[in-house]
Amino acid sequence: MNLHWSVVWDNAGALARGTELTVLLTVLTMAFAVPGGILLALMRLSRSRLLSGASASFTELFRNLPLLLVIYAAYYVLPLALGVAFSPFATALIALGCNVSAYNGETFRAGIASIRKGQSEAALALGMSPWQAMRVVVLPQAARRVLPVLASTWVSLFKDTSLVSVISVGELAYTAMLIRSRTFRVLEMLTAMAVIYWSLGYPQAKLVDWLNRRFGVSE
Amino acid sequence: MTRQNDEPDAHVVLAYRDVHKQFGDFVALAGVSMEVRKTEVVCLIGPSGSGKSTLLRCTNGLESIDGGEITLDGQVLPRHGRGMRAVRQRMGMVFQNFELFPHMTALANVASGPLTVLRLPRGEAEARASALLAKVGLADKAASYPSNLSGGQQQRVAIARALAMQPEVMLFDEPTSALDPETIGEVLNVMKALAEEGMTMLVVTHEMSFARRVADHVVVFERGTIIEQGPPAQIFDAPLVPRTRDFLSHLGWEG
Repeated sequence: MNLHWSVVWDNAGALARGTELTVLLTVLTMAFAVPGGILLALMRLSRSRLLSGASASFTELFRNLPLLLVIYAAYYVLPLALGVAFSPFATALIALGCNVSAYNGETFRAGIASIRKGQSEAALALGMSPWQAMRVVVLPQAARRVLPVLASTWVSLFKDTSLVSVISVGELAYTAMLIRSRTFRVLEMLTAMAVIYWSLGYPQAKLVDWLNRRFGVSE
Repeated sequence: MTRQNDEPDAHVVLAYRDVHKQFGDFVALAGVSMEVRKTEVVCLIGPSGSGKSTLLRCTNGLESIDGGEITLDGQVLPRHGRGMRAVRQRMGMVFQNFELFPHMTALANVASGPLTVLRLPRGEAEARASALLAKVGLADKAASYPSNLSGGQQQRVAIARALAMQPEVMLFDEPTSALDPETIGEVLNVMKALAEEGMTMLVVTHEMSFARRVADHVVVFERGTIIEQGPPAQIFDAPLVPRTRDFLSHLGWEG
């Protein structure tokens, strides 16, 4: 079997741009899904049945559908439902954002619930409003506690962004597959993809391990 | 025993009239009536589960009451909403487990009330906090996090944090029960100094010698009711009710 690695070097620029887009998708999705997760958690924990029910429905819907299906659905259904055509990139962001928000919501809910009641009572006893107690006392502690979990969600997300290649978002997987179909160099392109994903993913995974050691067990 | 108090007494800070509280089937308070006067130190004693802590938590609305009323300076306390927040600002509370905010330094803990609730400028809030840390003997620990302080030091920071709101009355919920024996003294000394300055204090405690020496008035709880109340000399040396004597002798109190 002849391997022609030159196909990788010849397309280095395109692969670099694809990688850039993969990183950008990950960052933007998280930038959307962290506040989204906090919002879902606060809604879920609120006394309002309506808010809590809405949050639970959203979470259970997006946690239990395959991400691939959500991406396709966003691509085909959103324009019909809203009458607006989003770019594939925006569609990908919406689909990934909903999926990751649902996971982050559960993470934050567990984090907030893990802060003992005495902490918010101490804040209330000082005269803080429930919202001030949440913002000043509970959330900062919960955030520290969920950091390791958020970091592993990040690493999963980084790899899952490859799924949006199905709606032709030109990220790393799409770019690599495009070059493959143009050049028929399957093994070379799969290897290049693996090397790029792995070498970017591995340090992130190590960072997660470190965060787990640093924040995971301590009070 | 209900003490009837028809004439408002200017010196009564807190008054409880026939206060009831239930948790499901468990009756935590079965008609409690008592008063706390200005500058007075009132100690609540009695077996665990007798309602002392519940009364304290009802006072600042961490628990709601099911019947009766509680007044602060003659005004019936609201039971929820903004009114309750205003009331809580006038009462300092110290918890058994300190409940310092672990992500804040000692100074930030003490400044948190003035900063967040009173919205004082940071400099002013921190100056107030520094002065209070000095007052409880922890000026050198301002930058320490709670996890680096001993239990006794944490509880002193917690007292300073409550004082930072300049409360009219301080509520202490078993402030030394979670402490190592060797650090109990430093907390009790801070409380004693506070009492001597004329702070009105309501203290749930198992420290009988503190109650004996510092309290002006001792209230004995059993099963959600007050079985006896009076000056410490009466309660500890000549209790009128046999069950008070039983409770004290259980603790090994020798009169």
